[in-house]
Order: sequence, then C-alpha cells, then structure tokens
Amino acid sequence: MSAGLAEPAAGRIALSLTVNGRFRRIEAEPRSHLGDVLREHLDLTGTHLGCEHGVCGACTVLLDGEPARACLTFAGACAGASVTTIEGLDDDPVAAELRAAFNREHALQCGYCTPGMLVAARDLVLRLPDADERRIRIGLSGNLCRCTGYAGIVRAVMSVIAARRAGGIAPEAGAARALGPVGARIGEAVAAPLRPLAERPASLAPAMSQDLAGAFEPAHRFTQAIDFVHPPDAVFALLGDIKAVAACLPGAVLTGKPAPDMAEGGLQVRIGPIAATFRGRARIERDEAALSGRVRGAGSDAGGRSATEGEIRYRVAPGEAPGTARVTLDVGYTLTGPLAQFGRPGLVRDLAGRIAADFARNLDACLSGIAPPASGLNPLRLLLGLVRARIAAWLGRS
Amino acid sequence: MKPAPFAWERPADLAALVERLATAPGSVKLIAGGQSLGPMLNLRLVEPDLVLDITGIAELRQARVEDNVLVLGACVTHADIEDGRVPDLTGGALQRVAAAIAYRPVRNRGTIGGSLVHADPAADWLSALTALGAEVEIAGRNGRRTMPVERFVTGALDVALSPGEMLVAIRIPAMPEGAAWGYVKHCAKIGEFAHAIAAVRLEPEAGRCRAVIGAVEGPPLLLADASPLFGGRIGPDFATCFDARTADSVLAASGMTDPVDRHIHVTVLARAVAQAARPVRSLLPEAA
Repeated sequence: MSAGLAEPAAGRIALSLTVNGRFRRIEAEPRSHLGDVLREHLDLTGTHLGCEHGVCGACTVLLDGEPARACLTFAGACAGASVTTIEGLDDDPVAAELRAAFNREHALQCGYCTPGMLVAARDLVLRLPDADERRIRIGLSGNLCRCTGYAGIVRAVMSVIAARRAGGIAPEAGAARALGPVGARIGEAVAAPLRPLAERPASLAPAMSQDLAGAFEPAHRFTQAIDFVHPPDAVFALLGDIKAVAACLPGAVLTGKPAPDMAEGGLQVRIGPIAATFRGRARIERDEAALSGRVRGAGSDAGGRSATEGEIRYRVAPGEAPGTARVTLDVGYTLTGPLAQFGRPGLVRDLAGRIAADFARNLDACLSGIAPPASGLNPLRLLLGLVRARIAAWLGRS
Repeated sequence: MKPAPFAWERPADLAALVERLATAPGSVKLIAGGQSLGPMLNLRLVEPDLVLDITGIAELRQARVEDNVLVLGACVTHADIEDGRVPDLTGGALQRVAAAIAYRPVRNRGTIGGSLVHADPAADWLSALTALGAEVEIAGRNGRRTMPVERFVTGALDVALSPGEMLVAIRIPAMPEGAAWGYVKHCAKIGEFAHAIAAVRLEPEAGRCRAVIGAVEGPPLLLADASPLFGGRIGPDFATCFDARTADSVLAASGMTDPVDRHIHVTVLARAVAQAARPVRSLLPEAA
C-alpha cells in the first residue's frame, strides 16, 4: 500500500485511488465493492446499485477511463485506479451532449438506470463508427431500463453519434492500453490480514418445518437412471434402509433417528467453488409390491437464504443383464433464493449424473458386503440447484 | 447482497502467489477480473477466508507468440482480444468470440483465464478454445504442466486443478492456411449465458474438422474427428454435406434426451458450419 498511510483498522484494507480527478485515501473492508466505496465512503451516491451481480448495469462507472461494473470490482482491486463516476462527467463534452439528448428524447423516467446508462452510452459514442441502431442496442444490452422501453435512449444515443460524426469527430480506434483488467494496471501490492479462522460465525442451519403432505408442482423435472450389479429385490430392500443409503451418499448425515416414513438430515455439497450444507426433512413412501417409492423433501441451506422443495419417484426394475437392476428416478424440484438466481436447470442434470455414478458404486459395494467410504469427505462434486431438492430427497429415501 | 467477510491479498509475483496459495490457512479463492467470482461472492454462494488477487502479476498480463502458438496470460481480458491488443494467429476467430461475450463493461475486466477456470458450461471460451485445440498452462509449487482444454474441463464448474495449482496461460495454436472457422451461439437475450453453442474448425484440404457442441450440461462435447457429421469425408464442399441427423444421433448418444434441446443444438451447429463456409467479418453477435 502507499507510503504514508497509517495502518488500517483491523479487518480493513487501506488504499489510494483517484476519484473524479481527486486523489483519495480510503479504508474499506476487502469485501466492499467499488459501488459501496463510492457511495458509503465518498458520498458519491450518483452511482446506483441494482442487482449487485453484474446484470443490470446501474453501477457502471469508468475505471481507468473504461466502463466497468462497480458491483463486481472489489475494493482491493482498485488500489491505484482512476475512477470516474457520473458526478465526474459534469464537464465532459460527450456526457453533456448525451444529457441534452436524453432530455430531448425522453430517455429517462425514474432515472435509476440513467447514471450507468450514460456511462455506457458515452463509451458507444466514442467507439462506434456510425449511428447504427442495432449496434447501439447491442451496446446497451448490458444496461437494463424498466421505464422507457429503450426507444428514447436509443434515439438519444443515435442522435449524439450522428451529430458528432457529421461534425467530423471520428470514433476512437481503441486507445493503446496495457493488457489486463481495467483498474488493475498499477499492480500495487495490497493486503488485508486474515481474521483468525475461529472468529467466523457458526452458520445457523434451521431445519425447515414444511408441510410435506400437500400437493407439489415442481418448477423443473428430469429423469435419471442408475444401474446396479445386484438384483432388483436386494436393491429395493437396501433403498428402504435409510441409514445405509445415507452412508452411501457422500456428504450426507442423518440427524436424529430416522423413522420408516420420515428422515431428517443434511448434505454437504461442493460445486465448483460453492460449498454448502443443506438441512431438511423428507417424507418417504414405499410400494413393496411395485418395487417403487416416493420421497418428498424440503430444506434450506445454512443461513436459510435458499429454500427448496423436491420430489423423487423411483422404480426398481431388472437391468439388462440377469441379476442386475436399473433404478429410474423421476426428479422434480423447485429452488428459490440466491442458488436459484445463480443456477441453471441444465447444470443440475450434470450433477445428477455424477452423483448417481458415485451413489451406485457405493451402494453396490454395500450390497457386496464392502463397507462404504467414510461419509462427508468424499470430494464428490455436487451441483447447483438440484442440490437441495435432491438432498432432501436422497436423504429421505435414504 | 454483500459478500461474507474475507481477507484480500494481491501478491506482486508468481512465486509469492503460488506459495501463498499452497500454504494459506482456511479456504482460498483466486480472483482476476471477478466477473464470475464476484456474483458468487455477492450472493454468498462462495465464502472464502482469503481472496488472492492475481492481477498484480505482470507475467499474467502478457501475450506473445511462440513457435506459431499464441500464448495468452491468464489475466488477458476479453476486451484486450476484442480490440486487437493481442496478436492473432486465428484469422480473427478469437476476436469474434471475445466481442460477443457478455457486455463491454464485463469484457473490460473479465479474463480468459478466469472464464476457463470457472468452467461454466455455457461460457464462450470453453467451447471456442476446445475447438481451436488450445492448451492450458498450469503452475504450482512443483513446477508447471500443460494439458489440452478438453481434459482440463472435467465437469460443470469443475476443472483438473489440484489444490495449490493455478492456470497461468492459455496456448492457442495458429490456424493453418486455408482453415475455416465457424462459431455460433444462441442466446435469448444478448449477453446472457448461451443456451447452445457450436464451434467448428475445418481444414478442408486436409480433410479434418474439430467440432464442439457447448452449453450442454457438462463439459463441451468435442468431436475431435467430426467427419461423420459430413458423411465421412470433409472436402471443400463440406457445407453441403452437413448431416443434421448424424449430429442429432451424436447428441442423443451423449445423453441429451430432450428433442427440443437437440434441435436447438443441431440448428446452431448447422449455422456454425454454414458460417465456416461463408466467413463473416462482423463482430456483432448473431441476431438470436
């Protein structure tokens, strides 16, 4: 960090940057993003925060002169950067022309998207060769406006570009700049010390109390088949042994003593960088004659921000070779909360396939009299949305 | 929508970074442009104890040509490629892919290395670099190794990095004279993650084609020898030989059971083949 800075307070990072032409020294938590630094530390509230995950564009600012998402730029990444916010564009000629055009064309109503929209539009005015409507619409596709329907915004940007090109002002041909993310060019080393790990608050993991008896219409469905090298009767019998199934499902733990028709527990999952523990309850029904069953579960992740409901219907049938079994799972699930915001149903099925393979291997080993692996630490990679539905469900059936 | 607390360090050289990555207590995540990790942090889907910012390392912000191979440091951004600030050995293929990734403010910080390591099946570089036959260069405390992109990506959001390892560079071989390239993705909204991707790299004179079908549920589907898609033989007339039914059965065999999904992916593949036959010069995204 820069010489002359006092030691930052515990858990904070000290950095210097240039904001709207002024040299600023700030202290911020490393988890603060640039939008919060600007608004909370520097009182520059013209930068608006919308989605805070890079989709809406409201927080777009200029970082080293180029548009960037303030919400996806953390404080530590800004050391030495030059930041220009909407407040810093008061005397910018392009921004002045855009403001006039936005007024003329009714290109704003509530104004929430406007600061980010102007920063993005300014970039287009500088770079686009001519006032091509399609290119402008593509260029503005990363800035959401919920009032105007974009028509006025597009007209405003077109008119500014057309006027400038008619006046002989050429587009910028991509000024020479160093490689790498904007804002990170200076390469100043910064560090905020690690908190002692013991300080981390323990996650609350409330078990959801949800009615598992009512009707359920899942948002997503898929079918998954698992092949076993043991006969259908043996597989079906083992699927009724909740403890055995939990032991075969990597990361699963049962809490309390499972009843034949109800189980409670959790599942630790790892999906790429995401590690989460889900807790929930499942209700189990089995049809001995048809070698089929139904598991209906509900749960939430630690902290209770994401919630899920799911249902698995399974049928055990003879496999292709004599003495083998194929279990067909019809999975339906609904996911809400941050995981749902992030996840996509397609990813869920990839996970389903990988889980199924591990689960089948462990269950086959169990049927062969081989102890299943120690549960909980298997680096099984579980996947997003599905996680929860499946968890409650598998657990249950388990 | 605020991340859980984490510590932040920005090592100044690669040796220090790799050492820290291997020895730091608790959970550690590397960050470059933060355009994939940032949302996950903000949503608290990922709660690391320490975030290591790799953008302070000069070596990772470089591009060079080595024996007809373009070597891009992990921190080269999509905008760097879009704007032509790095050399090009692919006849503009990389540039067209880069220009259509997400949005300009995202491209100004998002990096090619970060995108690959994040390994979202619907991300552009996974499919494009697989089709181009690119390799990744991986560094750890015990030295470096390289592997083809198709072996690096092992699943959705899953790559073959061991603990303590990081991706440092991507090596992209030159496209030979006379080679053809087609890359098409289908998005309902411009800039969103694709619902289907197809990339083809053809050498009609040598009778070779690598085809990749991406934005599937796991790693991109690579047909290292895609001649079955063209009736078993690839020649200058490849565009008229494209066999959609074979493509459909390949997808069905790969486990894509939904006929609507297969139809979309086959259609996008057919468009990529058509584009390879009549290369486009525009950097604009396809109109859905």
